[in-house]
Order: sequence, then C-alpha cells, then structure tokens
Amino acid sequence: MARLSSSADLKKLRQEILSQRDPDRPCVTICSGTGCQCHRSEEVVDAFVHQIENLGLQGRVDLRCTGCHGFCERGPIVVIFPQQICYLGVDTKDVSEIVSQTLIENKLVKRLLYKDVETGQHVAYENEIPFYKNQKRIVFGSNQLIDPKRIDDYIALGGYFALDKALFEMGRDKVLQVVKDANLRGRGGGGFPAGIKWETTRNAPGEPKYVIVNADEGDPGAYMDRSLLEGNPHSVLEGLIIGAYAIGSHEGFIYVRQEYPLAVQNITIALEQAREYGLLGANILGSGFDFDVQIHRGAGAFVSGESSALMTAIEGRVAEPRPKYIRTAVSGIEGKPSTLNNVETWANVPLIINNGADWYRSIGTEGSKGTKIFSLVGKVNNTGLVEVPMGTTLREIIFDIGGGIPNGKKFKVVQTGGPSGGCIPESLLDMPVDFDKLTTVGSMMGSGGMVVMDEDTCMVDVARYFTDFLTQESCGKCVPCREGLRQMLNILKNICDGRGKEGDIELLEEISEVMKDASLCALGATAPNPVLSTIKYFRDEYEAHIQKKRCPAKVCRELITYYILPERCQACLICARNCPTGAITGGKHLIHVIDQEKCTKCGICFEVCPSRFNAVVKLSGEPVPPPVPKITKPILLVEDEVIFRESLRDWLTEGGYQVTTTGDGEEALKVIRGQEFDTIILDLKLPGKDGIEVLKEAKSQKPSLKAIIITAYPSPETATEAMKAGAIDYLIKPFNPEMLERVIAGVTEAKAEVTPETNER
Amino acid sequence: MSEEQIQILSRLQQNSNLSKSDILLRGLEILGEYYSLGLDQPPLSLELRNLEAEAMHHAEALRQIRKKEDAIKQVIQELGSVDKAIDKYQGSKSALIQILLDIQAQNHWLPKPALMWVSERLGVPWSQIYHIATFYKAFSLTPRGRHIVQVCLGTACQVRGAPRLLDRVMDVLKIKPGETDHEQRFTLTTVNCLGCCALGPVVVVDGNYYTRPSLKEIKQIAASYE
Repeated sequence: MARLSSSADLKKLRQEILSQRDPDRPCVTICSGTGCQCHRSEEVVDAFVHQIENLGLQGRVDLRCTGCHGFCERGPIVVIFPQQICYLGVDTKDVSEIVSQTLIENKLVKRLLYKDVETGQHVAYENEIPFYKNQKRIVFGSNQLIDPKRIDDYIALGGYFALDKALFEMGRDKVLQVVKDANLRGRGGGGFPAGIKWETTRNAPGEPKYVIVNADEGDPGAYMDRSLLEGNPHSVLEGLIIGAYAIGSHEGFIYVRQEYPLAVQNITIALEQAREYGLLGANILGSGFDFDVQIHRGAGAFVSGESSALMTAIEGRVAEPRPKYIRTAVSGIEGKPSTLNNVETWANVPLIINNGADWYRSIGTEGSKGTKIFSLVGKVNNTGLVEVPMGTTLREIIFDIGGGIPNGKKFKVVQTGGPSGGCIPESLLDMPVDFDKLTTVGSMMGSGGMVVMDEDTCMVDVARYFTDFLTQESCGKCVPCREGLRQMLNILKNICDGRGKEGDIELLEEISEVMKDASLCALGATAPNPVLSTIKYFRDEYEAHIQKKRCPAKVCRELITYYILPERCQACLICARNCPTGAITGGKHLIHVIDQEKCTKCGICFEVCPSRFNAVVKLSGEPVPPPVPKITKPILLVEDEVIFRESLRDWLTEGGYQVTTTGDGEEALKVIRGQEFDTIILDLKLPGKDGIEVLKEAKSQKPSLKAIIITAYPSPETATEAMKAGAIDYLIKPFNPEMLERVIAGVTEAKAEVTPETNER
Repeated sequence: MSEEQIQILSRLQQNSNLSKSDILLRGLEILGEYYSLGLDQPPLSLELRNLEAEAMHHAEALRQIRKKEDAIKQVIQELGSVDKAIDKYQGSKSALIQILLDIQAQNHWLPKPALMWVSERLGVPWSQIYHIATFYKAFSLTPRGRHIVQVCLGTACQVRGAPRLLDRVMDVLKIKPGETDHEQRFTLTTVNCLGCCALGPVVVVDGNYYTRPSLKEIKQIAASYE
C-alpha cells in the first residue's frame, strides 16, 4: 500500500479502487457479525467459497463478509447485490441452490426469502422487508456494504473524504462550528452536546489533549456499539480523527470491552490499515496534522463506562468515578483536557461533515437531531439493531419494525436505557422517542437498549434484577450507591420471596431519593430508575406481592406453585421423567401429581409438557387443589373371557391398581360380600348370572360401588338398563385401556371413544 | 595347626607351586598389613557408615535443589512471557490493566509470581495490583478450568429465560457460578451481556456461542469439550 500524502492521492486511490470494481457484477454479502457467527455463518462463507470455486465462477462473482446487518433474529443473512436479494436463515445446505439458482439463472430461492406474517407474501428485496423498510439507516446502513477488514471497501464508499474535507476545505473552527450547529448529542446516554464538549476541551488549558472512544458498552441488552465497531470501524475512526483535528488533540484512545473480541480485532486491523495509508500517524494526508490512537481493552466493570472512571482505567488504575466539579473535558486523563464520546457519536461525525449541519438538523425532533440506533431485544419478533430518526414512536419501533410480540402474548413494558433507565408501559407507546421525552417519563435514552417484555414478566422481579446487577457492579466508592443499592435489593428480594411488609414501597422510594441526590456519579444517581419507574407504573403489582403474597405474572419462585391439571393430564410421563427431584408421582396410566414438598419449582415440567396438553400450570396466591384421590380400594374385574381378563388385569396392576378377578357372576357377588371394593368392572355376558343382574344386586348391597360395564355386544337397551342400575360408564370392546383408566380415576366420562387398534394387549 | 588349616595349606601348595614356608610368610605379611592399616578397629567401619549416610543426605539435598531449580526455571519461563507482555507496552505503568489481561489470557488466571514480577518491573505497588485484580471481572486469582463456560444473564437473556438455562448448566456441570470442577475441566461464570441479545439466552464455551440450548444439547456440548 502506498502512503497517501495529499488530498489528490486519496481521490486517486478511490478512483483506482472503483475502476477495479464492476457495480453490475454479482456480489454475495454474508453477515459475519457476532450474531450471525453464532448461527455458524463462517461455515456458510466456506460453503460459498467452495461452491464458487467448484463452478469456476471466480472473478465473475464477488464474495464479501460484512459486519452486522441488524436483523440478527434471522441470521445468517445473505444479501445478493446488485439486486439486493435478501436471504434469511441461510444454512450450508442452501448454498449450492443459491449459487445455481440466483447467481447463475437469476431466479429466486423462495423458501429463504422473508415471508410476511400477515399476508403470507414473500419479499425478495431487502428494502421491502418491513424490518428494514421502516428504518432510516444513515449510520448503520453501510455495514452491509463493507468488509470491515478491508479499508478499500470503506474508501470506495467515499470514506475518509469527510476527513479530507475537514483538513483541506474547512479548517478547525469550521468543523467545530458545523458539529455545534448540527446539535449532535452524545449517544452514550447523557445526550450532552458533543460540539460544546469539544469546544471546552479545545479551550481548556493544558497539553496534550486527548480524545477517546467509549466502547465500553456495559448496558445489558445493548450491542449497537459492538456492531458498529465490528462492522464499520473506519467510520468511528474517521469521526475520531476529525474530532481530534477540531480539538487540537494528537493522541486518542479507543476503550473497548475485552468481552468483544471481534470488535478488538477489527478495530486493530483498521488502525493498522489507516496507518499504512497515512490516514493515521504523523502528517495525515500531508496536512501537517499528527494524530495516533491506542486501543485500551476494558477488563470488565460496568462502572468503567462512566467518563471519569473510564479515564482512570486508561491510566491503568481501578475504574472509579470522581466528583466532577471540574468536567473531564477540562481535566481528564492525567488531569489533561479529554473529550470522551460514544462509538455511535463519533460515527455520526463524518456524516455531518459530508452533508452539512442543515441536512443533519432536518432529521429528528426539536431537541434531538439525527438518528439513533436501538437494540430491540427481548420478547419481540424481529430482534436486532434498528436505526430510526429521533422522534419515532415506541409503537412504530416495537410493532412496525419489531413485528410485535411473539406467541400471541400481550405487550407489557419496554425497558429503555439499561440499568439506568426505566420501564415504559403500554399507555406511553405513542410517545416519540428522544433524549428529553424519555427522561420526562422516568427513563432515559441510555445507550439505546430496548428490552421488550410481555405479560409473563413480573415488574418487581425486573426491578430486583436490575438492582441486583447494579449492586454487583457498584464500584463501592460512595455510600449512597453502595449501601442504598444493597438495602433496596434486600427489600426487593423480600418482596419477591413473599416476605414483603407494609411500608416497603415507601422505604424504596425514600432510599431512591437519597441516592438520586447524593451519589457521586451519574450511574449511582440513575440507579434507582428501574425501581422508581416500576413503582410508578405498576404499584399494584408491588402491592399484590406484599399484601396478597401473589405474583400476578407468576414469575417469583417463592410465590408460585406448579400444579398439574388432572383434566388435561394425559399421563404421558414426560414431566415425571424430566423432574430433577422426582417430585412428580403417577404411573404410566395414572394422572400425574406434583408433590409440593419435594418440588423445587425449577419449572422444567412446565416447559416440557407438550403444548397440545398444557396440563402444567402455575398458581400464585391461591391454594393448590388437593390431588385427585388415588384409588385406594381394590378393583373387582368380572370377565369370563380368560385372555382378555388376564391382559386387562396385568395392565391395571401395572398402572398401580389392586385387582381381583373372577369369571363368574355368582362368584363375583360372593367376593363382594366378603371384601371391600371401590370399583367393579363388569362384563355383560357372564356364566352363572347375567352382568346386569350382578350389577343390580351388588349395587343394592353396596350403593357406593362404582360400576363400569364392558361389553362386546352393545345395544341401546342394555346400555340404558346398565345406567339405570347405577353403572357410571359403559365401554364397548375393544376399547382404549387408557380410557378405562380415566373412567376409573373419575377424571372424565368416556365419550364412546372407541379406537379398535389401540387395544393391543 | 588345625586340621582345616593344614588342608588349606596343602591346597595352596598344589595350586601355586610354592613351598610351605613361603606361603606362611606371605600370609604373615598380609596379616601385618591388615593390622597396620587398622582395619580391625571398629571406629573406622562406623565412620564408613557415617560417610555413607552423609553421601545419601547430600544426594537427597541435590534432588531437592534440582526440583527447586526446575521450579525456578518454570517460573522464569513464565516470567519470560510476562516480560514479553510488559515489553509490548514499553513497560508503561498505564498499561498495567492491558498487561494483566494478556497474562490472564495466557494462563486463564493470574499466578502470584507473575503479579509480583509485574509489580517489580513496573514499579507499581503490590496493593494496587491486587486492587485491580480483584476489581475487574476478567481477572481470577485462582486457577481456572481448561474451558470457560459463560452463561449470559443480561437483560435480554434474562427476559428469555436465562436463569432457568443457568440452572440446567449447573446441573450438567455440577458446579456453581465462579467454581471450577475437580478435574479442572470447566469453570462456570455468569456475565452481564455478551452483546448477542437477539439470540438469547446464550451459553458461551471458549468463545463458541450456543443459542437457546435444551438440556440434552447442554449435555452434548459439555461432552464435546475434554
């Protein structure tokens, strides 16, 4: 690679790259972001390489491994350019078909296309899929056009031209002015105007000045920074260089979590390639401006996302925040002026420089300009990364783009802003999303995580979860955060465990107020948000837990019990086999019962019970019905046909019943006189005495006796007679023995369910 | 002379062709040498036994020294890789966390000699290194298993049933989060978001992602790592 030493060199390089590329040549792009890698996209790439070689298509088809496309739910994603045919959930098996059909014959492989849930129509092109169609992907859209490991791909799209423009056309002051005019606000959560921060650092006394990329994306549920850094590292880097130029900084840092190995790898490669081209290092593009960047991997601490904590981590110390009477923009790393912005903020900078402040201001709302990338996750159909203009309503994001809630469940809340944010209920779904609106409803933008929760989510449990997370992650430097969280967690745990008491809610609110006022950093001050917002919108759920010891969503382990509905149970043994504690009793033909003493409430029975049965249910705040009384008294089986009698006896004995048999009517009556029976199973045609007569006599002796008639010669007359004589059921041979069992257990009435082939015994 | 001595004498005469007096003289000579050397004195044999015991003692000491030498060699070798990590960052104090991350990545934990060496070379107090090693989640001060199993408990995974997944993984591996099994095969940890929220709940083993595994699949996954 030749080093670029002037603006003209860059333009020449781009011309060269473009001249080698044919925009009409088919190009297969395969998403290789972390999401798709989990779906084994690497194997799909290998399969394509193989197939293209096998068919001798090298040079006629391009292959590109890109970063995240955003539609992670349906990965691995393959998009074929120039038509932009989008195949979802591609497997290695599908590759040969895609190559032969689409690449060679120009036909669609229908089964891999997006299928509209409502209309059932297939959608071939990416920009027509509702998930993409309703977005405005100015920052994130380039991901799928770029192989993050090749700087040429970025330059081909006009990359580093914003830097060129800044250096040679605009100059420092103009760049700063444009960013200020555009009103670019920090995407990391606070929403502080980036331009003002830059200006503060620039004007602050002290050298050197530092610029930093905050890629310590610690918010659980947010991963857009990761995907940007993985998929389009140069856009972040270009923004950083432009910022450094405007501020007058010569040294930058990228602070990225070590939990993101691919991001670390791709940004490392990006830095090397930029240095080789002379876009980074001394005398960038021959402009005389020097700037270089170091990567600092974060070792795993939520608090290190806070600006002053992050800077102490870069100094090689423990990431603890400090009081910010003086902002980090004035006194940051080693006490020097330092500007810290989030990955997404930096990635917006080249766009603003290229298109101007007016263009940027035309997108978004009054106070919040541009777009925002949200990670739409949780209980939503189309999970993934979504970029929309500021001011888009939650309903549009969750339902139009996200496709609503899966499995026909009801939407309950959306949690935004990570552990510092809050839960927004359904009544506020039509609220436009921007920095200020979210704050007014008790949540915040945060880094852009949007966790959708359905009706099966317990709000107290959610508050407990976030408080637990924050308790673990609190750095412990200031008392309000460290002790406040611990006490809140104790109270919440008690409420979830059914030990909540009157006054707990008020106490939670009181602690929250103190934490808000007295915590050292923003993370501490916003830590009570999950608790406060859930109390604000779901106070009734807290009250149900405390007063009625009931968890309305049936989540809190101590407040629920698992129960098998006897009328639904098919005695299939699946739950009994999976139960880790052996708490489920019941035989092969016996309704299953959970022994509540042994049950650890792991919920595995609930999961494994086949959905067509749905026999296992959760109860909360109501007593568990007593188990169906088991047959304790023995059964008398009166049947003259020996083979049938014996096999039926064996079958019943195996099912746990105590069975006495006889083949004679007179004999049967004798046995009944001498012994207690609960149930009698009677054949109609018997030697000695007719079945009906036996029934009548037996009933007169023991009216409580349950009698079931079995016969091979059914007739309406005998049936009526038997029922009149007090039989509880009338089964026609051959019958399904399981039906007999259910009749015995008194669970159901036989509905003349005659299935000849099942009576194999 | 006794009967026996006469027999020996005659046998010697036959074998050596020497006269009886020559043989007797030679015998007296040898006897004289024996006494002059003091070989009949008991203290000498005692001394020999003492010498032998001493030699054995030294041999044992030598073995100990060799063992220590091996141990030291190993530590030096380990410190060599620590040195490499330190040199990668030009021995800069601010790179302390980066150096520790490299050591952690190499060994799966932070051995004490390595930390002491870092402390000495960077001139950072031991207490500060300990502070860092216990503050950040990535570091471990105890040896970990050959395979690291991470269960994500981030919000998105939580909503989709991560706690139940964790229960299953605990059942299969028979260890709790933070623990290592006796064979040092697996270490189980929980993490708060791995950034693949769309696929939750996930289990990651040595960087390989497994999405929404069933109990059966977890068993298969566990069996596939030695």
